[in-house]
Amino acid sequence: MDVLAFEWAFIWENREALLEGLENTLKVAAIGVAGAFVVGLVLGAARAHRVPVVSQLAAVYVEVIRNTPILVQIFMLFYGLPRLGIRLEGFTVAWLSIMIWGGAFNTENFRAGFEAVPARFREAGYALGFGRLSTFLNVTLPIGGRIALPSSINTYISVFKNTSLMVAIGFGELTNVANNIQATTFRVFEMFLVLGIVYLTLVWTLSALIRMLEQRLALPEDAR
Amino acid sequence: MPDWVGPVAEYVLEVGLKETLKLAVVSVLASTVIGIALGTLLTIRWLPVRAPIRLYIEVWRGLPIVVTILFIYFSLPTFEIRFSAYTAAAIGLSLWGSAQVAEATRGAVQSIPREQHEAAAALGFGWVGRHVFVILPQALRRLLPPLVGLLVNVIQNTTVAFVIGVAETLQASQRQVERLTLETGDPHAFEIFAAVMVLFFLISFPLTRLARYLERRLV
Repeated sequence: MDVLAFEWAFIWENREALLEGLENTLKVAAIGVAGAFVVGLVLGAARAHRVPVVSQLAAVYVEVIRNTPILVQIFMLFYGLPRLGIRLEGFTVAWLSIMIWGGAFNTENFRAGFEAVPARFREAGYALGFGRLSTFLNVTLPIGGRIALPSSINTYISVFKNTSLMVAIGFGELTNVANNIQATTFRVFEMFLVLGIVYLTLVWTLSALIRMLEQRLALPEDAR
Repeated sequence: MPDWVGPVAEYVLEVGLKETLKLAVVSVLASTVIGIALGTLLTIRWLPVRAPIRLYIEVWRGLPIVVTILFIYFSLPTFEIRFSAYTAAAIGLSLWGSAQVAEATRGAVQSIPREQHEAAAALGFGWVGRHVFVILPQALRRLLPPLVGLLVNVIQNTTVAFVIGVAETLQASQRQVERLTLETGDPHAFEIFAAVMVLFFLISFPLTRLARYLERRLV
């Protein structure tokens, strides 16, 4: 096979399919990240405050998800669940799997963040007459959330990258679209250039954001 | 036990798990060697050395592993370089893994007090000898927990080799699911993938515990 000369025009000719793939990737990632945020926040709080039953269940959830490959989890949702009469389409499996995965990692991020809030801050809240919930919302959440923010953004970056795994179940996100085009046309370098640019731009932007936030949101107490 | 379990378990364990472990061991070894070398070089404050290594780390850490593995598998034959799927997967995992190790090594090497460098230099060691005999043995202590963590991640990420058809555990299981569907009409996918999850959990859980223990003990 001759090496095909690199052609920018080829990327342009396929822009519609690629943009649709990118749209699917971003849609799935947005739902996954939002879901992982909520799951992590709620379960992280339950873990940090040792809410009975919920805390133990959350611990099991975290260990199971973190100690099994996400691709196997995806296969379980896509091929395994129909056994139980639950049939999910590719799109649902895509956002659900990365949400479950990201939620587990985020639970640990938020738990660590909330546990890093000194007990005396919470005691000060109680002394001011706040109840348990309002102490959490007004004291632990703003301070602990700030501590957890950089590591949770790291989790969101991984959640975003994991959308590419849907190539294995044939959901039409960007990697799948580009891979299908290169498989039929042999335009390997054009397609992987697109993938490289898209993923690296987004990942690098988010990483830069973490570094910026780490400086901006550093607690005044640490700065001193 | 139903009849279908025996042959499935045999194939998944003997073909799949073996391939998974082979792939993981090769990738972890390559990642460690390349990563420690690059990470140590990264502490040199000279831009022409630092910049390309930094780029290497950011590219292979930034790309999803699926994309890296697909790229290697499909692009290299264009240059008449023929790879088996197994080799392509091992290269992809090692590029990603070595980038992780390099970043960890940089931190570990920089955590060693500068007096150690000075003392080693005073004893007549050159740059290489200073790092190999004095700095890295001390940095290794800090590096051990992330290396165990890397092993866990690499073992889990070997499943990504599924996309190019390497017969690792997930691919082996999927082949059995397809075989059962054709032969009996019942895929047994739920049971098989649940078993695969248990299998990975049994391998990963002790290792993540070990990593956490080492972190508390050594760092």
